[in-house]
Amino acid sequence: MARAVIRRLVFGLIAVTGVIVLAFLLEYVVPGDPARAIAPRANSPAVLASIRAQLHLNQPLIVQFADYFGNLLRGNLGTSYVQRQPVASLIGPRLATTGVLALAGVIAEVIIGGGLGILATLFGRVRALVSAINLTLLAIPIFVLGLLLLLVLGFQLGAAPVTGGAGAAQLVLPALTLGLIGAPWYAQIVADQMQESLASPYVRTAVAKGLSDRYILRRHVLRNVLSPAITMVGLDLGSYLSGVVTVEVVFVWPGIGLLAVNSLHQLDRPVVMGTVIVGAVAVVFFNLLADVVRMYVDPRTREEV
Amino acid sequence: MTAAAAAPAGAGPAATAPALRVTGLDVRYGPVHAVRSASLTVPAGQVVALIGETGSGKSSLALAAARLLPSSAVVTGQVSIAGTEVSGLGGPQFRRARARLLGCIAQDAMAALNPVVPVGRQVGELFAVHAGLGRSGAAEAAVAALAQVEIRNPAAVARLYPHQLSGGMRQRVMIAMAMALGPPLIIADEPTTALDVSTQAEILGLIGDLRERSNSGFLWITHDMGVVAELADWAAVMYAGRIVEQGTVGAIFDAPAHPYTQGLLQTRRDLRSGAIGAPLFQIPGSPPAPGVRPAGCPFRPRCLRATGICEAEDPPLTPAGDPEHAAACHHPGPGS
Repeated sequence: MARAVIRRLVFGLIAVTGVIVLAFLLEYVVPGDPARAIAPRANSPAVLASIRAQLHLNQPLIVQFADYFGNLLRGNLGTSYVQRQPVASLIGPRLATTGVLALAGVIAEVIIGGGLGILATLFGRVRALVSAINLTLLAIPIFVLGLLLLLVLGFQLGAAPVTGGAGAAQLVLPALTLGLIGAPWYAQIVADQMQESLASPYVRTAVAKGLSDRYILRRHVLRNVLSPAITMVGLDLGSYLSGVVTVEVVFVWPGIGLLAVNSLHQLDRPVVMGTVIVGAVAVVFFNLLADVVRMYVDPRTREEV
Repeated sequence: MTAAAAAPAGAGPAATAPALRVTGLDVRYGPVHAVRSASLTVPAGQVVALIGETGSGKSSLALAAARLLPSSAVVTGQVSIAGTEVSGLGGPQFRRARARLLGCIAQDAMAALNPVVPVGRQVGELFAVHAGLGRSGAAEAAVAALAQVEIRNPAAVARLYPHQLSGGMRQRVMIAMAMALGPPLIIADEPTTALDVSTQAEILGLIGDLRERSNSGFLWITHDMGVVAELADWAAVMYAGRIVEQGTVGAIFDAPAHPYTQGLLQTRRDLRSGAIGAPLFQIPGSPPAPGVRPAGCPFRPRCLRATGICEAEDPPLTPAGDPEHAAACHHPGPGS
């Protein structure tokens, strides 16, 4: 198992490096002059030129990349052009804020989606209703759902605060939005796996052993549903940590996504790069974590990796 | 229930009652009439082989007796296990009693064992649920049950998952589960079909031993006449949902009365005599599709002896030779 983990780590490292190179190229290929963004009112070309020189923007791309990558290897993400602060200190608190939202969102989608999936499997009468809910949720764009919740739950019912911020009360609506958007995938996978499991010979064996329906569901069926759900939780945690831009913008949740969008507008390249790298590492890390957890839940996967 | 089950074998009516008595059993799946008024008895401590092709209704009959058919199947008729009328029991009542009444051995143990639960726990939960043993007590009982089916180092095997075991070992685990609570009836659905020949022989040997020790009756579903000859005391042959011949294995093999049984045995003889290049006997035609039933005797379209009466009337089971031997044929007796 240790060997499988190490292999995955190596692949993850390669993937992260690839993302860094691509993001770097992309940023320097898009038009725009960071010097102008930093000093929008400076009209003298001399001032702009000196800013460019300070940021080493005049050097060939390959040299700039080597500099950046060298710093990165020493653990230095650089300094923000605009805020004049180390990128790491800008991202750090944002990562925590986004982490809270990502976790709350995943918990919400697992509960809502898992619940819908179990209901649809066990009670044939609600199956059509669950399908309709799934389709609706899949069809709604995330910002529409977010605004809708904000309007109905926030303004109309006053059930949740509508002001920005990162408090526990402000967490409710963005987490619910993430949960509702993600729920149909979990509902589908849970229902499919449960139906497959319920029709399997090992459930018939369990029935033949005189075990009660509840016992069979708990000990034999749900265990077999866990493994694919865990993989999906890992994927979601990783991608949410790399920034749930839309949700953070709609609810003004001060996380990585909001930081990335603002920095992109300001051509603050080091910060944008920083958010990209953190996102890539998060995706790799949570996928790996999901695989490891899955090895504990499903012994068959220990050998297949 | 516990007191009755704990009574030693040989005391009370359970000792004399047959392991299984099925009377007038019908199984329907919608328009398909899979089993038609089948009656069958498995005496205590004996092995009854249920022989037939795929689709003959043999699995439906056995699963109906074990009440393992999906709820879409309509089952009528009477089933009693060790003197207990189970067709009258309600669902929850039967569920609590079933593990002490009968055990089931499935054909494909890999699929019939839960892939994500260690085999020891799968055996142990029987003791936990039905004998009220705690976690460690159930685990110990599971190891003992695995030792009963001659698994070496049972404590280590108990911690393994099904995919880590060989096919023979998995089938031993199935057998351990089926016999864990010492039920009077074991229903085995082609338990050796998926195994290689040497493992097959081991498993058959094991079941032979267990049967001597346990006094359980076996209903053994198979299409392998070799297994029947080796293991069974009685045989029942099914064709198109009906039992067409039944009797002792001796009677069935030495004096088969139904032309279908004779065909099955002829094919086996040809396979064993093994003259290279010699044509293998085949029963002409193929069995009727489920749901389609020719008028009269269902075997008539394939039968060389068929006459007018075979087209008009479905023959009932009637004694053929000795009183324990019966065949459903208008023209029974040795073939030409």
